[in-house]
Amino acid sequence: MNYDALVVGSGIGGMESALKLGDMGFRVLVVEKEASVGGKMILLSKVFPTLDCASCISTPKMAATIHHPNVTVLTYSEVKSVRRDADGRFHATIRQKPRFVDEAACTGCQQCEMSCTVAVPDQFNADLVGRRAAHIPFPQAVPKKAVIERAGTSPCSFTCPAGIKSHGYVSLARSGEYEKAFQLILESTPLVGSLGRACYAPCERECTRGSVEGPVPIRRIKRFVADTHYGSGAQGATAPESNGTTVAVVGSGPAGLTAAWQLARKGYQVKVFEAAPRPGGMLRLGIPAYRLPNEVVDDDIANLTELGVQIETGHRVDDLEALREAGFAAILLATGTHAPVRLRVPGEELPGVHSALSFLRAAKLGEPLDVQGRTVVVVGGGNVAIDTARSALRLGATRVHLVSLESRAQMPAYSWEVDETLAEGVVLHDGWGVRRITGDESEVDGVELRRCTAVFDADGRFSPQYDESVLEELACDTVIVAAGMSADTAAFADLVPLNRNRTVQVDRGTLQTTVPYIFAAGDTVTGPSMITAAVGQGRRAAFMIDRWLRGEPLDAAEFEIALPMVDKAQVLARQRAYDDRPPIAAPHVDGSVALDFAEIEPPMSEDEVHYSAARCLDCGVCSECHECVNVCPANAINLDMRERTVEAEVGAVVVATGFTLFPADLKPQYGYGKFANVITGMQMDRLLAPTRPYNTVLRPGDGKVPERIAYVMCTGSRDKTVGNPLCSKVCCMYSIKQNQLIMGALPLADVTVHYVDIRAVGKGYDEFYEQARAMGANYVKGRVARIEEKENGDLVVYYEDVENGGVAQAEYDLVVLAVGIQPNREAAQLFADGDLALDDYFYVAESSASLNPAATNIPGVFVAGAAAGPKDIPESIQHAGAAVAQAAAHLERIRVSA
Amino acid sequence: MTERTEQSEGHEDMPGDDSMTERRIGVYVCHCGGNISDYVDVPQVIDGVRNEPGVVVAKRAMFTCSDATQQEIERDIREQHLDGLVVASCSPKLHTQTFREVARRAGLNPYQYTQVNVREQCSWAHTDDREGATDKAIRLVRAGIARTGRTDPLEPLVVQTTPKVLVVGGGVTGLRAALGLARIGLGVFLVERAPELGGWVGGFGAMYPDGDRGRDLIAQLVADIGKHDTITVFTGAELVDKSGSFGNYQATVRVGGDSGETVRLDVGSIIVATGFESYQPQGGEYGFGLPGVLTLPEFKELVDGATGPLSYLDRPVRSIAYIYCVGSRSPVDKPDGNAYCSRFCCTAAVHTSLQTRALGGGVHQYHLYRDMRTYGKHELLYSESRRTGDHYLRFTEETPPTVESDEATGGLRVTVRDHLAGTDDIQIPVDLVVLVTGMVPRDNADLVRTLKLPVGRDGFLNEIHPKLRPVETVVDGVLIAGACQAPKTAAESVTSGLAAVTQSAAVLKKGSAALDPLVATVDADRCRWCTACEASCPYGAITRVTHDDHEIAVIEEASCKGCGGCVPLCPEQAIDLRGYTDRQVTSMIDGLLEAMA
Repeated sequence: MNYDALVVGSGIGGMESALKLGDMGFRVLVVEKEASVGGKMILLSKVFPTLDCASCISTPKMAATIHHPNVTVLTYSEVKSVRRDADGRFHATIRQKPRFVDEAACTGCQQCEMSCTVAVPDQFNADLVGRRAAHIPFPQAVPKKAVIERAGTSPCSFTCPAGIKSHGYVSLARSGEYEKAFQLILESTPLVGSLGRACYAPCERECTRGSVEGPVPIRRIKRFVADTHYGSGAQGATAPESNGTTVAVVGSGPAGLTAAWQLARKGYQVKVFEAAPRPGGMLRLGIPAYRLPNEVVDDDIANLTELGVQIETGHRVDDLEALREAGFAAILLATGTHAPVRLRVPGEELPGVHSALSFLRAAKLGEPLDVQGRTVVVVGGGNVAIDTARSALRLGATRVHLVSLESRAQMPAYSWEVDETLAEGVVLHDGWGVRRITGDESEVDGVELRRCTAVFDADGRFSPQYDESVLEELACDTVIVAAGMSADTAAFADLVPLNRNRTVQVDRGTLQTTVPYIFAAGDTVTGPSMITAAVGQGRRAAFMIDRWLRGEPLDAAEFEIALPMVDKAQVLARQRAYDDRPPIAAPHVDGSVALDFAEIEPPMSEDEVHYSAARCLDCGVCSECHECVNVCPANAINLDMRERTVEAEVGAVVVATGFTLFPADLKPQYGYGKFANVITGMQMDRLLAPTRPYNTVLRPGDGKVPERIAYVMCTGSRDKTVGNPLCSKVCCMYSIKQNQLIMGALPLADVTVHYVDIRAVGKGYDEFYEQARAMGANYVKGRVARIEEKENGDLVVYYEDVENGGVAQAEYDLVVLAVGIQPNREAAQLFADGDLALDDYFYVAESSASLNPAATNIPGVFVAGAAAGPKDIPESIQHAGAAVAQAAAHLERIRVSA
Repeated sequence: MTERTEQSEGHEDMPGDDSMTERRIGVYVCHCGGNISDYVDVPQVIDGVRNEPGVVVAKRAMFTCSDATQQEIERDIREQHLDGLVVASCSPKLHTQTFREVARRAGLNPYQYTQVNVREQCSWAHTDDREGATDKAIRLVRAGIARTGRTDPLEPLVVQTTPKVLVVGGGVTGLRAALGLARIGLGVFLVERAPELGGWVGGFGAMYPDGDRGRDLIAQLVADIGKHDTITVFTGAELVDKSGSFGNYQATVRVGGDSGETVRLDVGSIIVATGFESYQPQGGEYGFGLPGVLTLPEFKELVDGATGPLSYLDRPVRSIAYIYCVGSRSPVDKPDGNAYCSRFCCTAAVHTSLQTRALGGGVHQYHLYRDMRTYGKHELLYSESRRTGDHYLRFTEETPPTVESDEATGGLRVTVRDHLAGTDDIQIPVDLVVLVTGMVPRDNADLVRTLKLPVGRDGFLNEIHPKLRPVETVVDGVLIAGACQAPKTAAESVTSGLAAVTQSAAVLKKGSAALDPLVATVDADRCRWCTACEASCPYGAITRVTHDDHEIAVIEEASCKGCGGCVPLCPEQAIDLRGYTDRQVTSMIDGLLEAMA
């Protein structure tokens, strides 16, 4: 891109610069970091001293800027760097932030805004009210196009191995949109109810609220959403039109079912083959019913069958080529890990020694082993061992011992589950290994334990060491071994290569085996894992199978490139004023729970769901709930948009980066941010603007119409204690303007201004001040020392009264801090190595203000407006004129010399 | 009036209102956030106008001027094939150009759009009468629709512009502007009344904010100007006449006093940078007239000329009192004073007092002020002054200080009520009293008359709009810069001078300018050349030509401002105003008077 001039910033100074350069015939590129041009002026109510409507003056300039034939505007973009080359030309690198909305398609209809489930403070209303993550910046925005604010991926969603938009369904549940939440989860997997119970919820471990009062119970919200859907008898999805291609899925566990679901939604005819008598894999055969009732699994699986997926149970597939020949265009192997790992100790073959898998499977299928009145030893320290021990208790075992190689602290089982297990009466023997199982040929009578001194070797490999001198014996009549699981893939070994641990070899990215039509996913590939991980594998496999069947390359495909995870520290810093909201108490399991297979965990009430979902901090801002995607009539939303970098070469640069407002909480004695009825001048301007948030002037604390309003002048200006000895120039006048507007809007209100000097300098300004005095505003000379809040929200102002002498105090309904302005420090970042000279107060330095105002130390670089120092609007506009005159002269000069 | 209406209807062969139904007019009524809709029932206005003849679209919008609504109007114009546009919102002064552009972008002739003012002339004027305001808004919009129904497509008058600028005033503003124009490639004529260039700044020593010496700055500018052969400088010269029209003015400059020769210059625009006068206190005002009581410029000259500790009339100066706001911020009950604040003087006085301190001699300085207005970065000078020991005492307008001779010391005695330290009067014996005098407008009656410059209540020259068009005047192509517009510092004056350079170049660099075609036209068959119109035209746009053996009036279109002053004076009804034809205006009156449904 080649332009004559680059204008950085599109506030009033930037727009004026661009328009005038454009009028002279120069080609101009304007870069604006916000989603609309207009800067701060468009946000004001009226402007002094003419009391013109700020919108009415700004909007024609904004529209003219966008439509000028010689001006190109990049909004929502930032100049990252500008480099000056040896010829004196400038090379700018510009970051175009993703709007996640196709600007050309968006009509500004605001449907996305109305459907968005995330509210954040509205910076264009000075945080007085909220706005949505999907939003049009403000009513007069140019361009009037939506933007979706995304700070990154929320930690919960980022972490979910299944790729479920956790933040999304939490925000939908918060809005009471349970069915939409259910549908959002269905975008990832049909196993909503199962995951709502049996998922170990890695999302909650990442929840930012977890580092404050405790995480949002994300999983239990999902369970509520599933229960609500299934309980309502709502119709499932209807099958899309078939694309005529059939796919076979071998195995009906979480990976297989999820893949089948995803493929069926794309129109494939999917058939699932399951060796067991019931579908569901580990969900149906491994996880005890007190954690995951059979009916829930059945409901989840019904999602698939409603979509037309066929599931053939009791059909063990050994010959994949035969399936291919039977017409299946692709095959997914998702057979899980259903082969038990043996202990390899003497006595393991004795009757009365069982594998945990077969024990749990028998229990779930309703044909349990008889452990009634027996003493059971469960060997293992993982979650399966826990499930086994607790199931044994529920099946009537008199005594259950849990023997774990690892110490209590190192057991791979979840700590809270170990606690519950012990509370139910299981006896733990941690740090012990089984030396041998004793008994005669008809019956086990005990296990012999040896002390385990180390589980892993120095490299972290499983290599248990024992102290054979420390032994213990446990008498028992049943031993159940939960020492691990492995893939049962022998039947496929001739066709697809296997790993040493018998898992299927695949390309980790595409999940394709060396046989192109065979893909594999889930524990068959990864070894024993979590349900969510298997779900994620199933989704990936379906995505890749679809691409492969459509003849598209696989390796180039990007499967779900999420935005980077948002920085939690930033989230917490952003939420300066979040409430303290402790989590609801987790259901506590102790010995009092009935030892049967009824579900232990109670459901959450709707109130609890609301409360809990409302604790969400909206880390990524956008929750990816996809409501905007669903409602946009123009199909303009694209959450996969990513940042772009563009380069531009220009002959001159105008820096019009403007100013920032003094953060009033840096004067803690004034209570801003602490006292609801202490607001800033910008907030008062919003209260008075035609697009005002409350449609009237009221105080934010309780909505009362204020009758006594005080102004505290020089907040953050002429104040060395905050590092700003400069006068901000505009605060006196904007306050006087507001005084007049308030007296117009609230004829009964008393306005008192605590000032140091009234600096009404400018054409007609002092007359404007006298007019405010004549209208009845009371100007009191003297600084305010501090402000205190009364119980009813009124404020006590302690101030110096110079004219009458001494210190005094007065009560007000509302206090306005006339905050000053500060340099926008971004200007310094534009040029490499601090090349652009700043003054002592970080404004862009004008190297010879007397004769060449707006010229900087770099030839060809000019500064326009408040980036060079405190300026009001007419001054900024004229200063832009000065910048343009010299930029044009510079461009003429380089054109002549070129 | 009625008679005239009938006459014009008669001779113009006006088609019946049936023709209106063939028009396709879009009407857009603005809420203006609430500026209009808080006092006017906008939906009711829509209902009241949607059935007017020719109306095919009637809509309302929160902000009609917003880009989104502009685009909606453009869409409607294209899709509904509109041939007329009515926007009812604010004053035409604000947005006429905006909506003309909308029309143009959508392919509609911009002159087939009518702006109806339902804000300044309706909602804001009738905040206490919603019903009445709504009724009036309906009538105003109907009038606008009626006019629009009778519009013809018009094309702007394109004039070639002269790429040269006349700068009036050779002070720092005019000099820098001249240089700026030359550097952009425009020719410059610089006219200075005095025999020397430089103005006030040319006489100054060190100046804030950077400590540059005024004399040096001027010398540098004059040297730089000398390097440009595209700049022609006339000193001892005055602008005495201006004719022509926007983009092509002929300026007459007299060089060398009343008997001097005159030069005629062709220019595209004129920048007025004639500066200010310093306020001259009346005798007795704060002791003015007593020895040792100086105005700020007098004191500045004294300080600039000093090389060591200050002395005055051969007496060392050990103490000085500065009295601020002399000639500025006069209370309303003193109508002969200047109500405005002179802006520069607080900082100038503080700066000069710092200069004085730097000269040595340990002088005691007392500043008697009302509000210290060292705005922006100038605050640093004020801080420095207090840090180095100057005393600041505040007085109010009700209790101004007094200055008397002190017989005992031969010096001066200042009495002031100090509000910071208490409420008692205190007396300060001082060697000098500096009256911090402000700026007053120059007496430039001839120039104002020649250029038809608008003068504000404060006597300074007036811009069109302080924010939208800060250096332009109501006379197209005549710009103002520097302290002739309002009190300004030198740096601020230079800034506005450069802004005027930019404004000139934005027009003249294109080489041509488009002017409104809304000008008077003469019906050659009716005109009898009675000279009534010629005498009435304030712009000299009407001249005489011979047409078919008789003399008639002809309008110089580029000079005509479309004011319409000539139209009602013509006894033959031979003059009409494009865009505001008799036919259109009578239809508007009918629209206003139409019965409410």
